[in-house]
Amino acid sequence: MSTKTTRVATDVGGTFTDLVVFETDTATGQSQIRTAKSDTTPPDYEKGVLDVLEKGGVDPAAIDFLAHGTTVVINALTERKGVKVGLITTQGFRDTLEIARGNRPDFFNLHYRKPAPFVPRHLRRELPGRMTYKGEERAPLDLSPLPAIIADFKAEGVAAIAICFLHSYANPTHEQAALDEVRRLWPEVSAVASHQITREWREYERTNTAVLSAYVQPVAERYLQRLDDGLKSRGFTGSPYIMQSNCGVDSLQAVSRIPITMVESGPASGFWGAAELGKLIGEPNVIALDIGGTTAKCSLIENGQIKIMTDYWIERDRTSAGYPIMVPVVDLVEIGNGGGSIAWVDDYGKLHVGPQSAGAQPGPAAYGRGGTEATTTDANLRLGRINPDYFCGGEVAADMAAVETAIRAVGDRLGVDADEAARGIIRIANNNMVNALKLVSLNRGFDPRDFTLVAFGGGGAMHAVALAQELGVKRVVVPAGASVFSAWGMMMSDLRRDYFVTNLADLVPDNAATIETLFAETEDRARAQFEAEGVAGDKVSFLRFGKFRYQNQEHTTEVLLDDGAITPERVAAIEAAFHETYEREYTYRLDAPVEMVGIHLVAAAEIGKLTVAERPLGDDDPSPAVKGARQVDFALEGEHEAIIYDGEKLQPGMVFEGPAIVEDPGTTIVIHPGSRAKMDGHGNIIIDIAG
Amino acid sequence: MTTHDPITLEIIQNSLQSAADEMFAAMKKTAMSSIIYEVLDMGTGILDAKGEIACSGAGIPAFIGVLDKAVKVIAAKYDEPGAVRPGDVFATNDPYHGGVTHLNDIVVAMPVFVDGELIAWTANIAHNSDVGGMAPGSLSGDATEIFQEGLRLPAVKIIAEGTPIKPVFDIIKVNSRMPDVLEGDVWAAIASVRIGARRLAEIAGKYGVGTFKTAMDHFMDYGETVSRTELANLPKGTFELSEEQDDGRIFNVKITITDDAFTVDLTDNPDQSPNPVNTSRDGVMVAAQMIFKSLTDPYSPANGGSFRPIALLTREGSVFHASEPAPIGFYYEIELRVYDLMWRCLAPHMPDRLAAGHFASVCGTFIGGIHPDTGRQYTIIEPQLGGWGASRNADGNSAIFCGFHGETYNCPAEINEARNGLYVDRMELNTEPGGEGEHTGGRGIVMDYRVRADNGFLTAGYTRSKFPAWSLDGGREGSPNYVEYRPKDGAPQRFAFVSGLTTRTDDVIRVVTGNGGGLGDPKRRDPEAVRADVKNGLITAERAREVYGVTV
Repeated sequence: MSTKTTRVATDVGGTFTDLVVFETDTATGQSQIRTAKSDTTPPDYEKGVLDVLEKGGVDPAAIDFLAHGTTVVINALTERKGVKVGLITTQGFRDTLEIARGNRPDFFNLHYRKPAPFVPRHLRRELPGRMTYKGEERAPLDLSPLPAIIADFKAEGVAAIAICFLHSYANPTHEQAALDEVRRLWPEVSAVASHQITREWREYERTNTAVLSAYVQPVAERYLQRLDDGLKSRGFTGSPYIMQSNCGVDSLQAVSRIPITMVESGPASGFWGAAELGKLIGEPNVIALDIGGTTAKCSLIENGQIKIMTDYWIERDRTSAGYPIMVPVVDLVEIGNGGGSIAWVDDYGKLHVGPQSAGAQPGPAAYGRGGTEATTTDANLRLGRINPDYFCGGEVAADMAAVETAIRAVGDRLGVDADEAARGIIRIANNNMVNALKLVSLNRGFDPRDFTLVAFGGGGAMHAVALAQELGVKRVVVPAGASVFSAWGMMMSDLRRDYFVTNLADLVPDNAATIETLFAETEDRARAQFEAEGVAGDKVSFLRFGKFRYQNQEHTTEVLLDDGAITPERVAAIEAAFHETYEREYTYRLDAPVEMVGIHLVAAAEIGKLTVAERPLGDDDPSPAVKGARQVDFALEGEHEAIIYDGEKLQPGMVFEGPAIVEDPGTTIVIHPGSRAKMDGHGNIIIDIAG
Repeated sequence: MTTHDPITLEIIQNSLQSAADEMFAAMKKTAMSSIIYEVLDMGTGILDAKGEIACSGAGIPAFIGVLDKAVKVIAAKYDEPGAVRPGDVFATNDPYHGGVTHLNDIVVAMPVFVDGELIAWTANIAHNSDVGGMAPGSLSGDATEIFQEGLRLPAVKIIAEGTPIKPVFDIIKVNSRMPDVLEGDVWAAIASVRIGARRLAEIAGKYGVGTFKTAMDHFMDYGETVSRTELANLPKGTFELSEEQDDGRIFNVKITITDDAFTVDLTDNPDQSPNPVNTSRDGVMVAAQMIFKSLTDPYSPANGGSFRPIALLTREGSVFHASEPAPIGFYYEIELRVYDLMWRCLAPHMPDRLAAGHFASVCGTFIGGIHPDTGRQYTIIEPQLGGWGASRNADGNSAIFCGFHGETYNCPAEINEARNGLYVDRMELNTEPGGEGEHTGGRGIVMDYRVRADNGFLTAGYTRSKFPAWSLDGGREGSPNYVEYRPKDGAPQRFAFVSGLTTRTDDVIRVVTGNGGGLGDPKRRDPEAVRADVKNGLITAERAREVYGVTV
């Protein structure tokens, strides 16, 4: 019997906790994939994880690698289930958290409500002491008020302390001193200083980041501790890796210290998976699209590189300013447009889809659980794109009468029949997604025609071909196991940390040494952190990005720098790369001096990635996989008889043409007339778009 | 194929919105003035071939109704066949030539052609840091003619078929104290309109010009339908208000609401002023459009159709309909005064739609000098945050921009200190009395700038400095807006308007903005809320007892 390596991904979602097990035969490199699902168990989320391992028949003692994604942080934030936080900040700035940036996005609405700060004014306290923007001490830090502040905090039931001082990105010694003193005076309290999370400027954003981090820290720490204990008590000998918002995984110890970095970890693994898959199949330029039940998310991958940013906000939309969290998060656009998104007609007869979702309860009308509103899924059923007899992999009998009633109601309001209403819902939903896809591509200066669309999540494959046609994308890839693709991405993740440091310097040869020192020091800091967790320094690889702008500008353009030290001789080439990147995005370049505003360093180390074996391509005849044929309405192209394929019977090398539908237990792939599909050696379906 | 099915039209409309948003993002990311990239004192829009606004990007509500007026003037001026060609870009900044606002705001507009046919315009407006004139930053309370307020661009072509007209750019640059910044900002605006034009051409190419135009028309008709439906729900009648201003002028408004019109009569108002406290008629129309949109449907997109029910009566030569060459630098304060006047006039009759008065001033603050670390000139041009009025069901918001602004951001102290080379000693909520009520007005702010070099300047123009935010139903008035110059040596001086005051090292410029008006008798305020205010240091225990009758 051959030996095998067992890798496990667990993901705690809002409703279900998912398990995906990859058992890789070490001799052949072939992986068997198994999945299981159990209920999410708030507030003791770790119980759901242990449940699902048991349900999936996984012996924790046999796990070689365990990656874990969780929504515990974002849930604690959005449900306001964190702890009471006290803030310590620079004298004169305790109201920064409440003043925020003063914007009013919903500007015609005179009843706009500004988001309330997470710390009330009486728990926002000040200490004298100032740094300058250059990181020089202007006034010494005075810690003498701290004992009285802490006494107040204790009396008020504060459970976590956030510290943020002006210009700590440039010099954190005051913050560090205050943090040390807080810990000395009150060793039990959970405490965090802003520089531990971010070294970028903008005091409101950094203060809010420190506050929200403190707010969730005890909750997340407790959760991670229980998870670790629970796994250990069941025989797991390793340590789980935790999925991060920057598409990497990090050690449980590191995440426990700064758990806020998990905030947007949900979509990150899928995007990472898309980047890795792209590299694997020779498609380094990818637009990744993840369509789930309530939202669609997309992200652009250029030359195999995901883009990481730090201007992330929660609860921010056209009607609310939201709250900033300055942590590295994969650059993504998310819209309220998923399979469960509700179609509705406004008072003036205009059709909209989303952002309201039918959720899991009652769900789309087709679930037959009392949902009366038409959703995108219902429209897909109505048009024959989803097989009513194979709904949710055959696990649910689609209530087609309920679908008919719901769609007809939409049609009545629009003054059209049910067919037309269903097509309208699909077209509006697709248009919403096209606009989101344009935001990550065209809006950032990239032509979607140069990219391959990788579509996953439960609904990605249903819409991908139509979206590709609309955007001029030439190729769509639906990965094997598209519905659990995020788990695959987790298996492919590196131990990765993104360091953003603000440091203003003119981009001139004389400053090359300063810039090199900044990179080198940050690399040393990164290496030391990895080494402290048992990862040898020489296993850590780096990517250096500079953040540049024309003098007098504010917003920066990030440019990947070639390997090797920054020398005076290289400065001209770096500047040229900036001009080129800038012009692509903004249509012009200037003959103006260039400034570096800061750096972005990516430090990564591989930690037992999944190996991927390719199967040989067989016969191109798809007929063994044909299930039958049925009338399918492709919305724009109208009705056609489509051949229906059984996704589980498709074999590498098989080729077929649209109009076609592939039915897989987790997803339905809609292949429009004229497009041509092929299964590759990894089990991915590659669709070349007509035209 | 020309299809006019409603779904296609809606898809085009959604695409217009995303194009306008994309234009906005491009401008924001490339601009060089903090007033644009940080404050977002800018707007983007898509207009039909006739110059009616079909769709606008984010930004500030006061700029939405500007672009159509500018493009109409450009289109009228270049009405000969072939005068407007693909790749052309036009600019205007002069309210007597379609500019609406003041000379700092340059409108850049680009025609969109498909198959040789003009199908639409993309346009952009933004506040430029310095366009010349008698004072740094181009705004001076001392100006008596528009000629003193900077370079006038009377709806001129700046790019011909894709090629920049270099002499025009040379003229623009040489007139500015900050030529590189102005050039960068104008190019940012060009990038924005070009990106929008490219997108529109794609949309029209894909769906056909006929369908595209129909979609624009229907979108505006939709805006009109929404407005008219809500107009029917407003109380009908004629409402009047006279209000004394800080400078002693009396402003009068008469609003008549019928089933199909919202008529604002401003004919009975003072003659235009020799000082730059006038506005163009177009500027007043923008104010009327803003209040009308907020009263009817603040949630649906605003376009030309939304505003069709508005009728505006003004008298040429008056403060609200200035004639050339009246100076208009501080037009925005006047526009805000009209906006607030209409709001106050209607609030007692529409208590669920309108809250008590807010600080209602841009509080435009201009600070400049030499950056002590870089030796470069800096100019801060910023509006301020302040308190909003209490409403029937909530306290007013603290520290947000006035009704003129919207998706506008203040400048972080850390960036201010680095970029401008001065210190921000504090930035706090204003705890002065004012705005007490059953529901309280929101808090203004107090901000101290400490100047680090000699020979700097301060210019400011605040209104609601003498008469603070108004209250409703027995609440108390808010508190005043003012700027206080606190020299290192000597006594503090308080100003509402100040021009070109010289500042020296270690002088402090204190910006204080007002609390919003209160609503309802303070004695009826929930005692728990009063105790929370005391605990949070917003009011003293004595005032809690005196004003609210609550013992803490």
